[in-house]
Amino acid sequence: MPRQYEAVYIFDSALEEPAITEKLNRFHALIPQPGGEAIKLNHWGKRTLAYPIKKRETGYYVVANFEAAPSQLPEFERAIKLDEGVLRHLVVVNEHDYAPVRDATDRSAEEDDE
Amino acid sequence: MKRTRKGDPLAEAGIRYIDYKDEKMLARFLTERGKILPARLSGITARHQRQLSIAIKRARYLALLPYIKRGLS
Repeated sequence: MPRQYEAVYIFDSALEEPAITEKLNRFHALIPQPGGEAIKLNHWGKRTLAYPIKKRETGYYVVANFEAAPSQLPEFERAIKLDEGVLRHLVVVNEHDYAPVRDATDRSAEEDDE
Repeated sequence: MKRTRKGDPLAEAGIRYIDYKDEKMLARFLTERGKILPARLSGITARHQRQLSIAIKRARYLALLPYIKRGLS
């Protein structure tokens, strides 16, 4: 059964935007979305890292939200790990919204906690 | 630090799930050295404290928050 995931990538900030987009497209080609929809991307852009990673002080952050079957993830993460341009990445299950709950009607859609 | 009996600041803000990407909010629950504040000092609920610790650890991994802050007197 497919699940909702969220991935955060930290790219080497020396990379140009087109190179980053090309890498993202390559990773995301491994997890085709139902109905051929595009994966939701959120480019945070360049940020100072709280501590150096691979001797870099800054990183280019991108957050992606997508749907995938758990069996697709090992291949997907392998591709990311092999890429030298990615300083770090995190993939987590994202089954609920982080937006504040305003009233009781919002809660009816949610079931259990992680 | 003095102990105060206060309500859960997160519950009051209407937060149900703590976002590990919101490092400004998470930073409020760190000591000046970057340690996680105990719930008895921050006054948040046990449920939120559990979520918070996971969120802070994810944020640290992503270099949004430091593991330790050095150089303070």
